[in-house]
Amino acid sequence: MNAYPLAAISFLLFTLAAAGFLTCGSLVRMLMFLELMLNAANIALVALGPAQPQAQAYALMLFAVAAAEAGVGLALIIALAAAFKTLEAENIKELKG
Amino acid sequence: MILPAVIYFLGASAALATLLMLFQRNPVKAAMLMLTVLLCTAGIYLALSAQLLAALQVILYAGAIMTLFIVAITVTPQAWRDRPAPGRLARVLGLAAAAAILAELLKVSAGIKALSTGPFSETGTLGIARELFGRSIFQFELLGLAILAAIVGAAALALKRRPLP
Repeated sequence: MNAYPLAAISFLLFTLAAAGFLTCGSLVRMLMFLELMLNAANIALVALGPAQPQAQAYALMLFAVAAAEAGVGLALIIALAAAFKTLEAENIKELKG
Repeated sequence: MILPAVIYFLGASAALATLLMLFQRNPVKAAMLMLTVLLCTAGIYLALSAQLLAALQVILYAGAIMTLFIVAITVTPQAWRDRPAPGRLARVLGLAAAAAILAELLKVSAGIKALSTGPFSETGTLGIARELFGRSIFQFELLGLAILAAIVGAAALALKRRPLP
């Protein structure tokens, strides 16, 4: 199978997720799109990795990174929601404190 | 065994679900669309003969991470009062930036047009374990440290600050 369609699928998913990340205002949504970007990168890693066990091992590590990122990100979002009473990124302007 | 038609179908479904997510205002429905994308990705892994990754994708991403998102949406009522995206200019600029990213990625990857993927032979857990505990042992150990830091960070953020006596 040609590698290009697989790369194109991954790039398309990454770009759509990036578009969502850049255009939406809500923090939860931004984190969702961030996870989808990581997911698209994972597809590229598995599909285009030269040696299969190695590519899959790296993809497995990325899973762990994504899980850690989601945990910290959502803890941050809940803390921000408690402090600012909003989840709109444009309403959160103060970082002092 | 690679099934190109299945991969194209799953890839198109994932892209469609991501596109629908962009225009979905209800956060729970957006989370369900995200679940669709993650399950389609698991299907792509399965078609690429990466069975372990497909199983982990369902367990970790579609299971654990989605549960976290649903809990976060449930405990933050602010998430339900989502307003439409900031401004028209910001939205147009965001879409233009995304289009530029796609164009650049496709341009850069023009070199792999002639390439064909390696043989997607079934990789069992033994091969991956050999890789993780052999050549990539340093990265694997560092990953443990990163996860520990994430746990400590999440716990510190979740703990309520009590006033000093």
